[in-house]
Amino acid sequence: MNKQLRKALRRLMDPDLECRRRAMESFVRATFEIFIRYLYRYLGNEVECEDVLEDVYADIWEDPNRLRNVTSEKQLLRTVYLYYMRRRLRDVYRRINRNLNLPQTALKNLIAPELGILEMMSQSELRETIGRMLSKLKARERTAIELWLEGMSNRAIASELKTTVGAVKMLKFRTLLKLKKQLQHYHGED
Amino acid sequence: MFEINRTTEELLVDYAEALRDGYIPVFLKSLTRQEGRTIATSRQFWDATEMVRVLNSVGFADKTVTPNVSLFMSRVDAQITSRLKKAKAPSQSKAGADAKRITKTKKTEKPI
Repeated sequence: MNKQLRKALRRLMDPDLECRRRAMESFVRATFEIFIRYLYRYLGNEVECEDVLEDVYADIWEDPNRLRNVTSEKQLLRTVYLYYMRRRLRDVYRRINRNLNLPQTALKNLIAPELGILEMMSQSELRETIGRMLSKLKARERTAIELWLEGMSNRAIASELKTTVGAVKMLKFRTLLKLKKQLQHYHGED
Repeated sequence: MFEINRTTEELLVDYAEALRDGYIPVFLKSLTRQEGRTIATSRQFWDATEMVRVLNSVGFADKTVTPNVSLFMSRVDAQITSRLKKAKAPSQSKAGADAKRITKTKKTEKPI
């Protein structure tokens, strides 16, 4: 953890609300980019990310005790996700829940899941692992995932691979499951 | 926009696109009762969604346009100010009510 972040965290533990309020500025500056990228995993939308993060920071200001024993950036991210972000992520979708045909637990797992592989790894670790995993795939599988990552639609991928949209969907689904197995294997979870 | 009576594979692909393009609420609203049940009971769907989030994070999170921190900071500060006001408000109104009660009692007291 860098010095600036460590100092900001220490100042956040001040019992005086006004002092904590002043300390928030350096804390936000030190963590904003990390947090917004992390939230993007679940929301896929910058505007929603900002809205959620605004509440998350205010929650941290109100009760920063969960961060008291944090010693590393990774631990900070995990603690913030577990105790602050998840609650807010669920709030985002609670308002539309009444009209959904999805059980409450399924919705919770979809929107703000329990800690999984994704939450255990840092961004650089993930990038490295995914790169390694993609290189082990068959050419067609890799192309489908890479084109999808470039932002192409299923129809465009189908035309690129000279196949049908249905076949592309099936190929992506199978490849994702294959990647998930590889990821578990990488973590020795099997 | 979405097909009806989607299979697990189709649901997963639609979820992946919704997450990538930032319209998860639309995807959630598009689910029928049957599709909701399919999602809730499919182990494969949950395995694949985790992978979708991983790929989303690797492929797109780095490309997000991070907004101006100073501007964002003022939003956080405004949020904190509003919470501070809310925290102070009940104690002030209670103090006001107590003061009123005291003056009322004083008025009804008979002079000795």
